[in-house]
Amino acid sequence: MRKTAHLAVAGSLVLALGACSGGDGAAGDEASGEITYWLWDSNQLPAYQACAEDFAETGDVSVKIEQFAWDDYWTKLTASFVGGSGPDVFVDHLSKYGEFAAQGQVVALDEMIQADAFDTGVYADGLLEPWQYVDGSTYGLPKDWDTTAFFYNTEMLADAGLTAEDLWTADWNPQDGGTFEDVVARLTVDTNGVRGDEEGFDASSVAVYGMGINPNFEETGQMQWANFTGSLDWDYLDSNPWGTQYRFDDPQLQEAIDWFYGLADKGYAPSAGVFSDETPTQLGSGKVAMGTNGSWATGSFMELDGVDVGIAPGPVGPTGERASIFNGVADSISASSSKQAAAWEWVKYLGSSECQDVVAEHAVVFPAIPGSAENALAAFDEKGWDVSAFFSYEEEGRTFLAPITLHSGEVNAIASVALEDIYLGNTDASSLTAANDSINALLED
Amino acid sequence: MSAAPAATGRARPSPGTRRRRLQGLGDLPAALVFILPATVGFVAFLLWPTLRGIWLSLTDSTAFQPGGFVGLANYERMVADPVFWNAFRVTIWYVVLNIGVQTVLAVLVAVLMHRLTRSMIVRGIILTPYLVSNVVAAMLFLMLLDYQLGFVNEVVEGLGWDRVMFFGDQSLVIPTIAMVNVWRHLGYTALLVFAGLQTIPANLYEAGRVDGASELRMFREITMPLLRPYLGLVLIVTMIGSFQVFDTVSVTTQGGPANASNVVQYYIYEVAFSRGYDFGYASAMSVALMVVLATISIVQFRATRANQNDMA
Amino acid sequence: MTTTAPAPAPPGTGTVTPASAPRRRRRLRRPGLGRVLGWVVLVLVMLATLFPFYWMLRTALSTNAALPGGAADPLPVGFSTEGFRRALGLATPAESLADGGSGASLDFPRYLLNSVVVATLVTAGQIFFSAMAAYAFARLRWPGRDVVYSVFLAGLMVPVIFTLLPNFLLIRDLGLLDTLAGIALPTTIMTPFAVFFLRQFFAGISVEVEEAAKLDGAGRFRTFFTIILPMASPAVATLAILTYMTAWNDYLWPLLVSQSEDSRVLTLALGIFRAQAPQSAPDWAGLMAATLLAALPMLLLFGLFARRIVNSIGFTGIK
Repeated sequence: MRKTAHLAVAGSLVLALGACSGGDGAAGDEASGEITYWLWDSNQLPAYQACAEDFAETGDVSVKIEQFAWDDYWTKLTASFVGGSGPDVFVDHLSKYGEFAAQGQVVALDEMIQADAFDTGVYADGLLEPWQYVDGSTYGLPKDWDTTAFFYNTEMLADAGLTAEDLWTADWNPQDGGTFEDVVARLTVDTNGVRGDEEGFDASSVAVYGMGINPNFEETGQMQWANFTGSLDWDYLDSNPWGTQYRFDDPQLQEAIDWFYGLADKGYAPSAGVFSDETPTQLGSGKVAMGTNGSWATGSFMELDGVDVGIAPGPVGPTGERASIFNGVADSISASSSKQAAAWEWVKYLGSSECQDVVAEHAVVFPAIPGSAENALAAFDEKGWDVSAFFSYEEEGRTFLAPITLHSGEVNAIASVALEDIYLGNTDASSLTAANDSINALLED
Repeated sequence: MSAAPAATGRARPSPGTRRRRLQGLGDLPAALVFILPATVGFVAFLLWPTLRGIWLSLTDSTAFQPGGFVGLANYERMVADPVFWNAFRVTIWYVVLNIGVQTVLAVLVAVLMHRLTRSMIVRGIILTPYLVSNVVAAMLFLMLLDYQLGFVNEVVEGLGWDRVMFFGDQSLVIPTIAMVNVWRHLGYTALLVFAGLQTIPANLYEAGRVDGASELRMFREITMPLLRPYLGLVLIVTMIGSFQVFDTVSVTTQGGPANASNVVQYYIYEVAFSRGYDFGYASAMSVALMVVLATISIVQFRATRANQNDMA
Repeated sequence: MTTTAPAPAPPGTGTVTPASAPRRRRRLRRPGLGRVLGWVVLVLVMLATLFPFYWMLRTALSTNAALPGGAADPLPVGFSTEGFRRALGLATPAESLADGGSGASLDFPRYLLNSVVVATLVTAGQIFFSAMAAYAFARLRWPGRDVVYSVFLAGLMVPVIFTLLPNFLLIRDLGLLDTLAGIALPTTIMTPFAVFFLRQFFAGISVEVEEAAKLDGAGRFRTFFTIILPMASPAVATLAILTYMTAWNDYLWPLLVSQSEDSRVLTLALGIFRAQAPQSAPDWAGLMAATLLAALPMLLLFGLFARRIVNSIGFTGIK
């Protein structure tokens, strides 16, 4: 009850602000004028710039795109919400939008979707649902999707006497790592030239690590261990999205986490602190043979100087399937926007195949509309980049959602420290049980 | 020279009345005019936000919504929050290292400049790191000190030592961040000390020299005692700045590894801007930080004052 | 205290012997071990100070793609001036992206001008108004002075993060979001540090000089402008430089207030070169080139100010 009262107050405040901040606020609900659109990824800027130009020709709305680095993006967005001075439309992230929706800072799109009979069925399966908040309303229209896979140095793979086939057919289990660990061991070379699976390998003096580890500690594990845990009979939450019980206390999960960070003790992966950058830089340094990352990072790998990179999907796990997190970003409308109608026109256009086909041509991400994604696949092919690994989970494996809950910021803070402690060797994965308890206590309120 | 010419047409009170007036309101009318602009700024941009922050610390406000009064709940949460206490310890350790090293070096550099050279080039060079913003300085050292790709580690290895995880080792990360900020602020601090040195009458050194005193003795017996009030000032200012370390942490480690560099101001920022937009709790921690700063400053200031009185 | 008490200031203010003359003679006579050692330390400190700047230049002249492989190379790797071209906004978006840049267009002269305007406003306003207040605290007698001063001083202890959002809201309510005035305003009127710093120096100026002016019939305002300010000019100059640099390098506050190009200052423009997306490495070459370019005006300014400080040093002998 009190919450709704607050929301109403905030709403009227926002309206008042909108009225005084927009210079041409009188134009209010007309779909015209200039709106601002924020995004964080500079690689996607040219693609959306092209969309905006096409869009300007279709109606009276013009779009001004502003791009801020990821580190600044959320700070600036938060401040602009507080100040009622934000963008009309912005690229939203699954880990953030729940909080924004709870605080009434983003607009529920349902009415507009209904009024225009906009077909949300065009998006690939599983992309729209995560954007439905716990109240049942939709707060974002999907624009792209991503999965994660393993990027490897093709030359190092060949030197190890391995082929891409070995990676594509690898299996994994949390006890001995399966043939996947054999591959990683084989790719590892110590400073005497001895490989990780050979007699006399010196784990304390490694020249090339078989597998790099991203320094991104997240409850999702997306950048680290999610490809493995996804192939277990385990899920993050009692129900996803909007579950209230995490399952980091599951012994199966803990075994897998111990296996994963344990690769560093075996010398197959760098210890905590060895690399402060993500896997593209790690592969670029020539000291790492293979590393996880998302489809969005393909360009960063492929354009590395002097390193030829191939992409293989995650290994087949105990469930008999390979697995990857499947999610994407979406476009949301700020509650403080004074040009909601114009903003909706733009969001609709971003979510249409006109725009998504244009984005596809730039070969930076996979658009949310399957037909456009096919075009993107072709555009990647044209560049000579084989990205089929990212599609393989959908075709012959399992894709799953990253955990989506309330209080995701605090959940992340607790989980990230707990995971990093394990990587640092301060404790083992059984400590996740305590972290799990604090997270669940948090989600109970 | 700069002495003003004799009075303009304005009638002057006789010395007698003037003295009597001084005993009452003194220079109050003039003083009010002098402090008016600064007071407006002070009230608008410091006092009001502070009072507001104290109020927020007693509510459950978020970034987006005003909250209701919750009494001391935020403070209770703070006292029971292990992350806060960790942040507190980490910050103290940082300040000790940062201020300790920086002050000693700054006095050394300032005295050397004062005794050896008036060269603006030297002074300019010492100050150059302050030309670079915190953010860029942090990024620069992130690159230089990287475990794998940093030039410093290439040199370390070239010398036959093991590479050092400057930002990745839980026990090294705070010393590293402290030294990055010593690099950036050394010139600034040295210049403040230097400004203090300039107020020491040169003839004291001349006299000392005539007496055949060594440089070291002159430093001990002339420089240090006369510099002490300024040093007190410099310490207060740099320490308050040091307690608020934020940019460097935010760019280099985001508080990691595993909270080892999660300093108070960074934690406050996270709570307010990314964890739960929890302004109430963030404000409570800010108030705590302010109390700590005030206590330290008052102690310092008392010490400085006492010293000044000795000298007068 | 065992120290020699400070000699009373000589009566005639202009008659102090320049301190440097005899010292110079002595220096020539005795280039003692201490002096050599002192210089060695000073030179070492200067080298440690400058090396990172060399590294910036070296990185600015490198190619991003070649940097990870050339970590040990003290010279630019894959020598290229593209970083500078990107920083100056001369590279096309396509060229920029190909070289690991952001592709965003940069209007360097405009950001430079914005930074100059903000830093100048802040410095001039802050020092002038703070000096006025400092004078009232240091040299005037009035009831409540110490209390008010203590309250001002207490402002020193307010954490920056505390005032960030209230000030942001105030600037919004004043309709100054996205303006240079909005960026400058909170620090333009005063900072406790500036008041504190200047009061300390004003208090050190000998009373006799002021009394002499008073006898000559100069009012408080005349005394302040013609006696106190000039006599404290080394302190004022020092503070001005530090204030200017602080304003020049401020990041978080302008990040919040500025929205569009019109109010974008250099530090924000530098932000463009930071990591663009969480997975990509920063545009190191562009970032370092831009940083050097952004520091250049400050170096020039410092060069200009330097003479003033040197000239005014003579005045301090008066104390």
